[in-house]
Amino acid sequence: MPPLVTFDRATLGYGRRAVLTDISFDIPEGDFLGLVGPNGAGKTTILRALLGSLQPLAGTVTRSPTLRFGYVPQRDQVDYNFPLKVIDVVMMGRYDRIGLGRRPSDHDRKLAHEALEHVGIDRLADLPLADLSGGQKQRTLIARALVGEPNVLVLDEPTNGMDLVATTQILGLVRELHDRDGLTVLMVSHALNEVANYVERIALVVEGGFRIGTTDEIMTETALSQMYGIPVEVDSFDGHRIVVAKRQPAEATADRV
Amino acid sequence: MFSTVLLFREALYGALVIALACSVLGVYVVLRRIVFVGAALAQISSAGIALALFLTGAGIALGPVTHPTVMSLLLTIAAVMFFAGGARGRVPPDATIGVTYAVAAAFGILLIAKASHGEVHDIFLSGNILGITRNDTLVLLAVAVPVLVLHAVFYKELLFVSFDRETARTLGYNVRWWDLLLYLTLGIVIASAMQFAGVMLVFNFLVLPAVTGLLMSHTMRGLFFWSVASALGAAFIGFSLSVPFDLPSGPAISAASGVLVLIAWLGRKVAVRT
Repeated sequence: MPPLVTFDRATLGYGRRAVLTDISFDIPEGDFLGLVGPNGAGKTTILRALLGSLQPLAGTVTRSPTLRFGYVPQRDQVDYNFPLKVIDVVMMGRYDRIGLGRRPSDHDRKLAHEALEHVGIDRLADLPLADLSGGQKQRTLIARALVGEPNVLVLDEPTNGMDLVATTQILGLVRELHDRDGLTVLMVSHALNEVANYVERIALVVEGGFRIGTTDEIMTETALSQMYGIPVEVDSFDGHRIVVAKRQPAEATADRV
Repeated sequence: MFSTVLLFREALYGALVIALACSVLGVYVVLRRIVFVGAALAQISSAGIALALFLTGAGIALGPVTHPTVMSLLLTIAAVMFFAGGARGRVPPDATIGVTYAVAAAFGILLIAKASHGEVHDIFLSGNILGITRNDTLVLLAVAVPVLVLHAVFYKELLFVSFDRETARTLGYNVRWWDLLLYLTLGIVIASAMQFAGVMLVFNFLVLPAVTGLLMSHTMRGLFFWSVASALGAAFIGFSLSVPFDLPSGPAISAASGVLVLIAWLGRKVAVRT
């Protein structure tokens, strides 16, 4: 089966400025990929190229004709000043299927409720979105992505600003959607420790560098030390991998700040 | 009192049409946080009126282009295209809007000062609700009805791109085109209302009713309802009080809008506490 998305020697950037050069990787159906790296390294650039809102400066980004994204934006990208009920927000995921100038049908409403049920918050359907907790808002946005019946779920920093409990619940839900429904998932995050224990493959982006592999291939001290440019330790605790940067004198890392 | 008001009923109908159109579009102006785009467009529109009067006074006739409404519409549409284009370079968007507002205001005043019968034409900048005739109301309706129908038909598209443009883009929405549609309808309504209502009242109708709506409701349907209801209410109350008390209509309507915002705010405070 051909991959859903293929980056072939793609150079990505803005204007004439290349942010990432010569990137090659693909996203096969059923993949659970974490796109990880520090802020400003180029994750959003790859994401924009993937979603089609940024054309590569060189090389190609090919998408399968059957591809349909279910996009979950960063929570703070959404304006909670809009007086919208949870069900109204979820319904937006079907707007393009409903068609221009047409109103949602009972069928669309039923699907929206099912999507909310799928992420465990159908009871909140008639509440204002602004009244929800961070985790509930995130579930609403995931339900909106699911209601459009996508074949790739793309989540942009899904646990940003969340506490430990909400983070664990959201990552657990995403993992469940992948395992239970066979959904292809791409999760963008700056938090390597959070993502590494849930995804199957990791694409690591650091300033000017890109490396992709299985979690076992990427989560090694050699690979991570090489990519981050500082000595890194990978420990295991109760089946979870934890990445820790080794302590260094301040001057050794001064040029990286 | 009402018999006096009835004498000016054509003007009242015109004010109600302006209130209706502006208060619907104002919901987007407030929710999208483009209040100052509304202010800048209103100011540019009035500068267009001033330019038309200046050119006419100077004996420069360019056919229909020198009609105040046409010139106002042309300048407003040019500004709409500019604002809908989005951020430019290193200048922050709000600074660009500020520059546009300041320049348009200054040029408007300078042009009016040098237009023949400038003192008479000041009325165009501050509005002249009482001067609205039946024909004017029909023209306002001819503009407002298609704009409102367009907004009703494409409600979900305009809502989606306003609420979460990035996700809308991933679902294939051409966000820029929808922005342009919103700004264009906004520009057309502002330009057509400007010569009757003036900068202050048009800006008032674009902002205050929607704020009242936000304070009164938790749903989009409620927000639109209260925005329109409070605009129509303010127009009626302000107009009805201005005629018998010999007050300028525009400021009286704006003041009534302000009182309604205050009532809604107090009501919300009480509701939250109980």
